[in-house]
Amino acid sequence: MKVNIRYFGQFRDFTGKREEVLEVKKGITVEEIREHVRGIYPKIAAKSEVLVAVNGNFGALDEVILETDEVAFFPPVSGG
Amino acid sequence: MIKIQSEDIDISRYLDMVRTPDSGGIVTFLGTVRDNAKGRKVAKMSIEVYEAMALTQLEAIRSEAIEKFGVNEVVVVHRYGDLDVMDNIVFISVGSGHRREAFNACMYVIDELKQRVPIWKKEITPEGDFWVEGEKHE
Repeated sequence: MKVNIRYFGQFRDFTGKREEVLEVKKGITVEEIREHVRGIYPKIAAKSEVLVAVNGNFGALDEVILETDEVAFFPPVSGG
Repeated sequence: MIKIQSEDIDISRYLDMVRTPDSGGIVTFLGTVRDNAKGRKVAKMSIEVYEAMALTQLEAIRSEAIEKFGVNEVVVVHRYGDLDVMDNIVFISVGSGHRREAFNACMYVIDELKQRVPIWKKEITPEGDFWVEGEKHE
């Protein structure tokens, strides 16, 4: 299935993209898609903390991602 | 009231939003752009936001602060875009019957914001641009 991925903060520099569509297996979990993205981008893989949000919420690692979900990848936040 | 905007923060307008008849005090935190970080001179700051998620997270934090500390009103305004030294970044204001709850709620909001609201700062310095590393999640 195809999943829409958005990147924010330093991850936009790492990927050179604001978003992309990735082809992943059906029933993929948050943890699995994080490994998938780490596999594509070594600079993301090198970060000790990679945050993943599904439809604007921090998902549990075993949450299953649907084709209609918006998945966002970013480093620890630094607002304020 | 929660707001994310690029324009400067109209402080007196937002302060009036937390002014309620049952409040005896208002505590406000105003975050501004500092001209230095980790020994480097900072010339400007660029702020990026994942707006839809940031609004959801800020609404949740606002509700938690009201619930946890029993304060009357909480307003949070955060800016994005390119800012200069001394510019306003974030405005948090809490109206409460008594001061202690207002101070505690204000501290809670800024601490939670720094942990879970998807906003990132990039410092523009004479030595280059540096993304600010967020605090680690527990």
